Amino acid sequence: MNIGRGRQRTRGRCSGLVFGFLLVLCSVPLSIWASDTIVVGSKNFMESRLLAEMFAQLIEARTKLTVKRRLGLAGTQVCFEALKTGGIDLYPEYTGTGLVTLLGEPPMSDRVAVLNRVRTEFLHRWNIWWLAPLGFENSYALALRRDQAQALGLQTISDLIPIGSTLKAGFGYEFIERADGLPGLQQKYGLQFQKIVGMQETLKYQATANGDVDLLDVYTTDGLLSVYDFLVLEDDRHFFPPYDATALIRGDTLERYPELASVLSLLTNALTPERMRIWNLLVQEQGQPVPQVAREMLLDLHLLMDPKPLPSSSQQRSSQSLFVYMWNMRATLAVRTVEHLGLAGLGLLLGIALAIPVGLILERWRKGAETMIRIVGMSQTIPSIALLAFMIPLFGVGTFPAIMALWIYSLFPILRNTFTGLRDAAPNVVETGRALGMTEWQILRAVRLPLAAPTIMAGIRTSAIWTLGTTTLAAFIGAGGLGVPIVAGLQLADVNVILSGALPATILALAVDALLAWVEHGVKPRGLEPVR
Amino acid sequence: MNRLALETRQVSKQFPDGTYALQNIEWGVQEGETMALIGESGSGKTTLLRLLNRLAQPTAGTIYIQGNPACSQDPIQLRRCLGYVPQDGGLFPHWTITRNVCLVPHLLNWSLQQQESQFQHLMQLVNLDAAQMAERYPIELSGGQRQRVAVARALAANPAIVLLDEPFGALDPLTRHDLQDQFLSLKARLQKTMVLVTHDIWEAFRLGDRITILKDGHIQQVGTPQELLDFPANSYVHSLVCHYHNHPE
Repeated sequence: MNIGRGRQRTRGRCSGLVFGFLLVLCSVPLSIWASDTIVVGSKNFMESRLLAEMFAQLIEARTKLTVKRRLGLAGTQVCFEALKTGGIDLYPEYTGTGLVTLLGEPPMSDRVAVLNRVRTEFLHRWNIWWLAPLGFENSYALALRRDQAQALGLQTISDLIPIGSTLKAGFGYEFIERADGLPGLQQKYGLQFQKIVGMQETLKYQATANGDVDLLDVYTTDGLLSVYDFLVLEDDRHFFPPYDATALIRGDTLERYPELASVLSLLTNALTPERMRIWNLLVQEQGQPVPQVAREMLLDLHLLMDPKPLPSSSQQRSSQSLFVYMWNMRATLAVRTVEHLGLAGLGLLLGIALAIPVGLILERWRKGAETMIRIVGMSQTIPSIALLAFMIPLFGVGTFPAIMALWIYSLFPILRNTFTGLRDAAPNVVETGRALGMTEWQILRAVRLPLAAPTIMAGIRTSAIWTLGTTTLAAFIGAGGLGVPIVAGLQLADVNVILSGALPATILALAVDALLAWVEHGVKPRGLEPVR
Repeated sequence: MNRLALETRQVSKQFPDGTYALQNIEWGVQEGETMALIGESGSGKTTLLRLLNRLAQPTAGTIYIQGNPACSQDPIQLRRCLGYVPQDGGLFPHWTITRNVCLVPHLLNWSLQQQESQFQHLMQLVNLDAAQMAERYPIELSGGQRQRVAVARALAANPAIVLLDEPFGALDPLTRHDLQDQFLSLKARLQKTMVLVTHDIWEAFRLGDRITILKDGHIQQVGTPQELLDFPANSYVHSLVCHYHNHPE
């Protein structure tokens, strides 16, 4: 007879599982630690990506530095926090945004005054530099369809005052919050609207087509303005500050790589609003990839020395079916999938490593258990995107804060199931073990843990699925993963691009769920259900 | 007079809220005798049993196990020397019958050969087929078989004293009767000191050499079945005994 046999079988399975996780771990890209690397960031809209990509290609072409891209970070605050904490070295920003959103100062209308003001303050407060403007402004403006504007006789924002309450406004989320957006605008003009709908930037134009909304906040360089034939209302009371586009860069990066300043200054006054609108349109409407358009911009400016064509992946997206597109993108998608698995796997592994021991401790210390579990449970109620954002001031952007957030997110189901699984594991049997002279440790190891294993595993399974889902949001703080094509696709309003991320993410979740269901079945001790 | 295998002196068990589960219990079980402990639920009979193997601590008084104060012994070692059969068998569902039965010998570091031969011996003792049972799991057994395995497990390390907590309470009447018969023959063969908790007066009369009647944490009477029938100490004992007379069996 062999009393230890059952235990050994379980242990073999466990070590296989751990090994699998380690494999995933090793596949997390290690490039973060590479030296002489510049990290270029961008916000999550198209022009920001395009400018960032242009910076990146220019630096690659004209210096020996390696460039890492963290494009599509979730909004101004995330980008700027990332810059402050060194998660990125530079990103495209607009002077008006710097003045109003980042410094919290009232809008000014003089371009030079605004530039000088932000330069002084950013240098003084954070040692962050505004490079010379690129030559175009991308201002906020209000716009509506030209035919509708003419029918209503609208030309200026002041014209909206009497009829605003009959109009439905579709505004971007950031615009609704920003001092140089809706709140300030309403104060300056005294505007009222029938309804204000918060909308994703790229979906707004389509929404006007079927009359869901009338009035939009727009970027003046938005290529879609001409596609949809929109009229930009004149800011007759000069509310919007000037928004000169340029690169915002860390002082210590400039110090370490002085060549960056001279290379990026090649772009000073090189761009015009008209050209910018066309390039934006190439990406937005014709579905050309950002790297290709950025390259065309640089070629157009005669800033690239060696005009060799890009690889064939630069075909137009919209002309392809989903599966052809995904097949063409297979290399990228494979990397994204590995990143995704790596992030989620590491978060989950850390979650298991913390939650199971804590669950064991809480089971011994029942008094504090409920409170503790409730506190951990509260972390679950923080919206995941907010949790990711909270991580930025602490850990910057990229892989590390994403894993920290996923870790926190993964804890609750595992902790709760470990605790209840152990607490409820056949109490009468546990009592008998005690009465027959087993020590508490023996009872835990030989009785309670094996009996609780399926419950604990179910917690891990729940946690794994949540974590995998949340990982798609990691793209917002530049951690990669399958969220990257989803976020990019949302900005492009391109279903294929969204699906190229969403589809593998879903398949991944299903596969992991099936795998863990199998493991869950495996850890279920024999004898808990009749043998067939 | 025989040496007392189990003895309680002035033992009380008081709950934190001040109520007594047991109060001033002076009680003893002689070597080799089967003592039935009977009472309604809440009478303190299970508490008394739990005090004996130190699953609970008395708030006052001393318990002697084979002459030694229980509180001076390591509870883990003590429990390994006391056989125990819970009401529902308490078999570990994820362990085979062999592993279940050989639990205490395993804890006591017996060799595998010793465990194996003990298993054969015990299965024979409780009328089960060792070869057939060895690799099966508790869920594959009938209720009566499970209870027999539980008895085998309690006897596995040859304890001098066996505690049984309503061992046949959850079985159907026919199986119960059958197992009680086997218990009587086992008792005759082994001559162990046993304490059997039950709420069934008929079972107590049938299996106990002597019977202890508990009510509200106090002992009402201790005596042989005949003594209880002939000289009931009070009206409660009398009504219990009358119940035995009126029992359909």
